[in-house]
Amino acid sequence: MHLHVNGRSREVHPASDASLLTVLRDELQLTGTKEGCDRGECGACTVLVDGRPVYACLTLAVAVDDATIVTVEGLGSNAAPHPVQAAFAALDAAQCGFCTPGQVVSACALLARNAAPTEAEIRDAMSGNLCRCGTYPKIIAAIQAAARGEFGALPVAGSAR
Amino acid sequence: MAAKKKGKRFITTTVEVEGRVESKIVEVPAFSPVPWGADASLDIVGQRLPRVDSLEKATGRARYTADIKRPGMVWAALVRAHAPHGVVTIDATAARAMPGVLDVITAADVAGVLASAAAKLFDRDVRYSGQPVAAVCAETAEQARVAARAVRVNVEAAPFAVTFEASMADGAPLVRGAGSNYALNSPLVESRGDIAAGLAKAQVTVSLTVRTPCALHSAMEPHGAVAEWEGDRLVVWESTQGIFRVRSNLAAAFKLPHTRVRVICDHMGGGFGAKNAAGPHTYTAALFAKRLQLPVRCIVDREGEQLDTGNRPASEQRITLGARRDGRLTAIKCEAMVPLGIMGWEGGPAQIYHELYSCPNVHTTETFALVNASAMQAFRAPGFVEGAFGLERAMDVLATKLRMDPVALRVRNFAKKDEAKARPWSGNGLLRCYEQGALRFGWPSHGDKPGSRSTPSGGSKAHGAADAQGRNTRRGVGMAAQVWGTGGGPPAYALVRLNSDGTATVLTGTQDLGTGARTVFAQVAAEALGMTMAQVRCVIGDTERLPYTGNSWGSMTTPSVAPAVRMAAEDARTQLFEAAAEMLEVDASTLSSSGGVIRSTSSEKTMTFSDVSRKVGEVCIIGRGSRGPNPQKTGIFSFGAQFAEVEVDVDTGVVRVLRITAAHDCGRVLNPTLAESQLEGGILQGVGYALFEERIMDTRLGMPMNPTLHDYKVPTMADSPRIDAFCVAGADPVANHVGARGLAEPPIIPTAPAIANAVANALGAEPLQIPLTPWRVLALGLQST
Ligand code: FES
Ligand code: FES
Repeated sequence: MHLHVNGRSREVHPASDASLLTVLRDELQLTGTKEGCDRGECGACTVLVDGRPVYACLTLAVAVDDATIVTVEGLGSNAAPHPVQAAFAALDAAQCGFCTPGQVVSACALLARNAAPTEAEIRDAMSGNLCRCGTYPKIIAAIQAAARGEFGALPVAGSAR
Repeated sequence: MAAKKKGKRFITTTVEVEGRVESKIVEVPAFSPVPWGADASLDIVGQRLPRVDSLEKATGRARYTADIKRPGMVWAALVRAHAPHGVVTIDATAARAMPGVLDVITAADVAGVLASAAAKLFDRDVRYSGQPVAAVCAETAEQARVAARAVRVNVEAAPFAVTFEASMADGAPLVRGAGSNYALNSPLVESRGDIAAGLAKAQVTVSLTVRTPCALHSAMEPHGAVAEWEGDRLVVWESTQGIFRVRSNLAAAFKLPHTRVRVICDHMGGGFGAKNAAGPHTYTAALFAKRLQLPVRCIVDREGEQLDTGNRPASEQRITLGARRDGRLTAIKCEAMVPLGIMGWEGGPAQIYHELYSCPNVHTTETFALVNASAMQAFRAPGFVEGAFGLERAMDVLATKLRMDPVALRVRNFAKKDEAKARPWSGNGLLRCYEQGALRFGWPSHGDKPGSRSTPSGGSKAHGAADAQGRNTRRGVGMAAQVWGTGGGPPAYALVRLNSDGTATVLTGTQDLGTGARTVFAQVAAEALGMTMAQVRCVIGDTERLPYTGNSWGSMTTPSVAPAVRMAAEDARTQLFEAAAEMLEVDASTLSSSGGVIRSTSSEKTMTFSDVSRKVGEVCIIGRGSRGPNPQKTGIFSFGAQFAEVEVDVDTGVVRVLRITAAHDCGRVLNPTLAESQLEGGILQGVGYALFEERIMDTRLGMPMNPTLHDYKVPTMADSPRIDAFCVAGADPVANHVGARGLAEPPIIPTAPAIANAVANALGAEPLQIPLTPWRVLALGLQST
């Protein structure tokens, strides 16, 4: 089967019970998406499927073969970061950084459906992404700054670069 | 800049790690840079510079252990026993026949192969639920996981004890099968003065018993290792707080010289004390890699992570404080009981009782009981977090009884020196933390009536009145203080290499847990070299290619490594100045540098580092730095005070922490942004400890019931209060020549008692047990006010 990931069509051979997370990480070497629990409890594996944030660990790879998938790598690169990534970096919203890819993806999904979220809306939308280092205050500030356009115009919802 | 020291090159000194004192032979540095005092004019150190690796983290390019994929790599998974005590038998027949399975190992495969502590891997004597008893290796991660579940594990059940009371009861089963259930020479008694006389002198006394939960580190990145043999050399990627300690562990286990083991840790996803050594996953990966001659990845799954990678043990503390009417403490007494787990060390609750306040008579007893539960591991300020809950709750109760402001009570008992060891502090900014913290929080200066400590942000609600959403809520404020040894110490080494392109590389074998070590050491080197941040890169995390530093524990990394980095940078700069002097035709002693430009006081001519480097070409300039011994008979500690405002829903028992102000003193702050991030992280872990986090043990089955992130609740963004965290200005040139003490552990210490004190203020009832779950809050009830 083919997966449409980050603007490319990739041929993959998942077992019928393989999660999207396994295929992304182990088969496609897209290791930006992290595994924190493999059971839908932490959000480290969040990716966009047709623009919506999903836990890749709870998503069967075979179930998304005609969907458009964007991972943290597809949002931006070190040379050309997504405004949300630039905001996270500039405002110290990553400590160990392990939860960060999932946080960034969830934040992008939030801003794509709500360009000017209130703090309460941010807290609500982001509460499925755990961070043990305690970056929450900085993430809130980063999302607000990105929403204000301080790190460049936000691209169209769910699109990969 | 540098004063030469004469005398012995190596001396014996003492180093304190998390309350433990170790004696070490250490190198006396060949020269010691002039200390950066509070008035030192620094351009890069102390600046709010972005973390050097934050963009690669935000774009998913940063590599962690589980991201390492070696050619031909296969996957290992651990098999655990889910019973607290008994002899295990294992049947792996079905597992071996499953698709993709390459190998299974049990105790028989370890015997005679692994030495040292690792020889206990897959012990047939199961002593706690969650203990690894076998491992499976397969072609894919999923195949290994499925096969691990197919291994049949049978434990012949034996009597067990999972609570302190059960372990200490007459006729209790021996937790380790032999010896005694008393751990660590319990009871440990520490005292100064005369506690009976102190209590007799007291005009007011308070006594209370508090209970704290068993808490789990729960780093988002689980423990993990990738192992590969290159001939007779072992290479291991490990998510660790101590690459050199993992190297020692592996060298001992496989009976190898240290230099035949290489341990690498590039990025790692948090440790908080749980990742200080090699673990079963490490030995498993290395053992399979040896047997199969293939690279092997072994990552602990979330359940294993919550079951068996460490914890902060629970505690019960019986506290009595005695004071005069004016608030001066005359006696501090604490009797602590700790169910330690199957093993652990004496990081108990007592120490903070000796260090935080001035008091002539202090007496503590700690009893550590072995229980059939997984071993404790240091968890961010081990012992002090538990102890602070007891001591600071007791101080709050005392303040109420004395009708005294809690801040004023603490100021009155400020310790002007380290009374526990009768020595001066290297520096102590606690009074400024009280003052500035109270000011920024808006600490009410009047009234100690429950609920009356209303605040500018909300004001107290009329008792029993419903708010706009129809909720019955009450607000309260509370505060607590903290002390924690943060001196760091030797040995720690760094090299600074000046490159032919005019840049510098800092080489030091430390690790960055998310603290920002890479960033601050680059700042220190850039400052000392007189270069720009962009010209300096810091390379860490490789035992083969980098000089030794110790574990990143005990808030030690900055105060241990930063002085070595600074010295190495100054050494390199001195060498480069000799070359520049030749080129500029001036005396080297006339040279100085900043912003990458070298100037002379005796010439108009300047040169950049690039100019000099280009001219000297591939001449290798390497500066060497070592961490000198700490000042003797000096207590090096960090301090802080936190202020919390809570809202309690009196109908549902739900506590919300609205805001926290945190004022901390750690000497010089190398990067205020990163320091604030650390403070916020500690505070949020403290919020979890106060409100949600508790490993629940089924005492009849002897098994933890909530080894998941769904059932073991860590704070989410929705739980995050508004946090105003800062460090008071200053530097501590007595502690070391960079002037910085550690900051990693302090911020978690006062958070839970500050929150509980705020709940006490809101309700007029005394919370004595955390976490303050809704049912505990409801059980507290409302006392009439
Ligand atoms: S790994 Fe998917 S939610 Fe944790
Ligand atoms: S930054 Fe470490 S878990 Fe979020």
